[in-house]
Order: sequence, then C-alpha cells, then structure tokens
Amino acid sequence: MTKKITIIADHDGKNIKPITWELFAFAKKIQAHEKADIYFFIIGENTKELAQDISIHSGCKTYAMDVLGTNNYHGQIYKKILIPFLTKNPADYILVPHTTSGMDYAPALSIALKGSCITAVEGIHNKDNVLHFVRAMFGRKIQADLSNKNLGASSPQVLTLQAGSFKPFKLDQNDIKNINIIHEAFDCLEKEMIYKGCQPSPSKGSNLAKAEVIVSGGRGIEEEENYKYIEMLADIFPRSATGASRPICDYGWAKYSQQVGATGTIISPKLYIACGISGATQHLEGIRDSQFIVAINSDPDAPIFQVADICIIEDLTDFIPIIVETAKKKRPTN
Amino acid sequence: MKILVCIKQVMESGSPIKIDPSGKWLQYSQSTRFEINKYDEYAIEEAIQIKENFKDTQIDVITVGPSHASDVLRRALGMGADEAIHILDEAKGYRPPAITAEWITAFVKKETYDLIFTGIMSDDEMNAQTGVMISQILDWPCATAVIKEEISNDRKKMRIEREIEGGAKDIFDITLPCVLTIQTGINTPRYPSLSKVLRAKKKTLQIIPAKTLKTAEQIPSLETIQFPEKTTRGIVLKGSSQDKAKALLNILASKTLV
Repeated sequence: MTKKITIIADHDGKNIKPITWELFAFAKKIQAHEKADIYFFIIGENTKELAQDISIHSGCKTYAMDVLGTNNYHGQIYKKILIPFLTKNPADYILVPHTTSGMDYAPALSIALKGSCITAVEGIHNKDNVLHFVRAMFGRKIQADLSNKNLGASSPQVLTLQAGSFKPFKLDQNDIKNINIIHEAFDCLEKEMIYKGCQPSPSKGSNLAKAEVIVSGGRGIEEEENYKYIEMLADIFPRSATGASRPICDYGWAKYSQQVGATGTIISPKLYIACGISGATQHLEGIRDSQFIVAINSDPDAPIFQVADICIIEDLTDFIPIIVETAKKKRPTN
Repeated sequence: MKILVCIKQVMESGSPIKIDPSGKWLQYSQSTRFEINKYDEYAIEEAIQIKENFKDTQIDVITVGPSHASDVLRRALGMGADEAIHILDEAKGYRPPAITAEWITAFVKKETYDLIFTGIMSDDEMNAQTGVMISQILDWPCATAVIKEEISNDRKKMRIEREIEGGAKDIFDITLPCVLTIQTGINTPRYPSLSKVLRAKKKTLQIIPAKTLKTAEQIPSLETIQFPEKTTRGIVLKGSSQDKAKALLNILASKTLV
C-alpha cells in the first residue's frame, strides 16, 4: 500500500526556508524504503506564491492555507489548523522542521493524532526492513536509534528534522505546468493566545555578523574572569569579535548579544575559534557556515571536534597565553 | 494560584558514559552521579518568583523516575517548593516522553492547577516533548522556550516572551491555565537555603507507583544506543603545547587568516 508523507513547510513570509528542502531530502530517503507519496502543507497569511514555489521545485501536490495572524509563527493557530487538516487528510509520516516553531507543535500533533513523536532526527537507515531514526542524546556523546515498529498501522509518525542533517534537495525546474496546489483561506478564532509583537534579538547590529574572525568561549572557561583569555586571543586577529556559548551568557559572563548559535547569532566568519565549547546541537547549528573552525578543548570526546578543521586538546587557560606569546614572537619576522 | 513544576533527574554532565551490554541504555555504576536537569532549575526559580509576587501561591513539584530521583524533589523543596509528588518508576531504560506526559496529566487531572512549568528539554535525552504533550492532553494553551513571563493582576492571563531563531522573541498574551516550557536565562536559579533543606529532609513526598497508571501505547521503540562514530574531519595537533601553538599559527598564516 502506498504510504503518505506530509511535509510542513517552513518560510519567513517571503521565502521558503532551506530546512523545507532538507525535509524533502528526508522524505526521499523514506521513499527509498517504502512506496510513498509526498505532499507539502504550508500555513501563512499569503501562501499562494510560496506554495507554487514548493510545487514547482518538488513536483508534489501542495496544500496552502491562508490564515490571518500567521505572519509570525503562532502555536495555537498552527495546532488548530494542522490537527483537523491531518485528521481529514491522514499521513503516515508527518515531517516537521526541528526549529523553535516545529518543536512547539510537533509533540502536540502526535498526541492529538494518536501517533508517535521523534524529535531532532539527524539520520535514517534501514535495518532488517525497519526504519531507524538516528538522534543525539547526552550532550551529543550518545547516538540513539529509534523506530516506530510497534506503532499501530493507522498511527502517524511525527518526526522533526535537525537542520543541517541532510543536503537540501529540490528539483531544478521552473515549469509552471508542474504547479499542483490547493489554496484555501481559513478563519481561525483564537482567544487563548494573542500575538503582541516581536522583541528584536540582542545581537541585532552586533559585530558578530560582520567579523572575519570570531573567538568564542564556553563553559570550559570555568570562571567569569577567564573570559579575558578569549579577548586576548581575539586581539591577535584584525577584524575579530568575541563570542560565547549559551551557558556562559546564561551565567552572565558574556552578553546575550555575543551568543553564537541557533538561538543567538548564526555566524559565517572566515575563521571560528571555539574555546572550551563542547558543541551542543544549537551551537553547532550556528557555526555551520564558518569557513574554517579551530576547537580548543581539554575533553578529547567533545562533539565540537567532529566539526573542527583543527582540533587542539588543551586547557584553554594554559594554551591561549602560549598562542599569544608565540604569535608576538613570530610577528616581527613575518 | 497553584503551580506545578515538572522536573527530572539526569546523569551529571561530565559523568563517564558507559553503554549497557544490551546496547539499549546506559550502564550506571556506584560512581554514577545524578543531578537536577538544569532547565528545570530555571522553571522552579520562575515559580518561586511568582510566589514572591502572589503570596497565596502554592508550588508543587513532580518527577517521574526511580527512587533516587527523589533527590531532585528535595532540592526543589529546598529552593522553596511547597509539596512534592514522585511518580515512582523503577524500570530501567528509555521512557519516551509520551509516557511521562500521560502519567503527569493523570495526576494533574485530579488537581486544579493554574500553571504548569517544565524545562524546555532535558539535558540527557534532549527531546523537548513532555511539556507540549502535557498541554495537548489537557487541551491547555502552551508556549515553549519562554524567556520572560508576567501574570496580569486579575491572574487570568500572562504576557510571555518566547525565544525564536536568532535570539529574537515573540510576545504573546496567553490565558491561564496554560503550560510554559522554560528556557535558560529567564532568571538566576537560587541555591537551596539551609533552613529549607532541613525541612525538605523531613517532608513526606507523595508517592504514586507508576504501575498504577495507564501507559501511552503509541510510542517509538529505542532500538540501540551507541557512541557516535568519530568522524573527525580535521587535523588533531600533536606534540607539546608550544609545538601545537606554532603549528596552529603556521596553518592560519598559510591560509592568510592571521
């Protein structure tokens, strides 16, 4: 029997976000395992063009729902639209981005639709004809394989996909003949949760976005005053800025405007130096576009070493002064 | 005002990690240390700060876990919670969030809470599901990743800020009762006070054996856990600290990065 995969598209009102195409790549991997049709679903205030874009570049039928009050993500409205829609149009797989919005409604979908939920999926493989979904646990030091083999036949599998796990996939075609969309407008009466505006990010206008070199400190600095080592190292580079991981911003050792990561600033410098940062998922998400990554950490098992170009297993408080000293000695001869 | 804070005991970060021979869960030993999930500390603190504003507030804390999980309940009582409920589950291995959510809501349905807080996720399993599931089972509104909250004077709604990508915050008015999952940085969690810790030691916890509760059926199965493949794509610098510093600067110079 042909299964059905529904992808919930992510967009910013003007453009389809890349995670949507990563979800399409994910759906294709499920399709390789079992026969399945792929559909997209998009909610927004003005979704027609976005839906056309999806349909052209996927060749898939796309349901577009215009709902007032969804220019910004609104959890209650999303749930009120998605649950009846997915009840009427049941899917075997519901693929959701593991973003601050996807995380906000995906677990609710699984409860309402009597399905299961696996969040932050990073990989998929077929073992003895059972699909295994791979995700990180325990600060990325453990990887778990989960399956839905014991799920009831009519129960949907809600899966959220960690950004950056699959290469975005879209068809290279612009033929408007392929457009297959169902566009509807919907009124949603929502009184329990009312949108009141947006508070801009503290990092807006900070120099992190422009800096060519960013040196960041994490929990490995151990004490607030040790942040000076981060500044010391940044000083040897022109056009540099200092950043921080989330925990040390939470401790108040660095400002939130300096936070690097998915919930801080997403950076793309020529050089990123992570000092005493273990490499939480949300941090890795924010540094993915860096051209060259150096990691300094005393824990050889720190997940940051899996993405670094240069791995240095050292305590930063000992090692940074040595780099600075060596750099000073070198400079006159260069 | 009655607040329930859902908390979890997790393995101490930095504790050595060993996989059980079954390959299905971690192997704990005598030396394994446990601690309160750090996100939950922020949730408890936020409830305590509400109580400081609304004096007639009662704060209950609930956890699901084995007997040693009662340590986190006592820690919460030491911080300032009033009552503690322990859903005692001695089963070892992975317990999907749908089960935890169902058990907690079974308890909630017998009570009258105005607010339920959870941490945004747990440090160990990192699912970020339990709070949202609780809200859906109860059919209450829910906001995740909450970084600020303020209850209206009539106590019927609250203004919240939830964190979105890039560190911006969406602001909502949300009607009570509701579920909030709390993000770190919303406050600075206090340490338990000595007098409260002493009282917490004597406090009777309400114990609910998990066996007595209905268990969610539509749940994923944990097949295996493993250490991630070491896919170090970069170069690991070797030698003395001085050698490494020189090597690093040479590499950066060759790429005109320094």
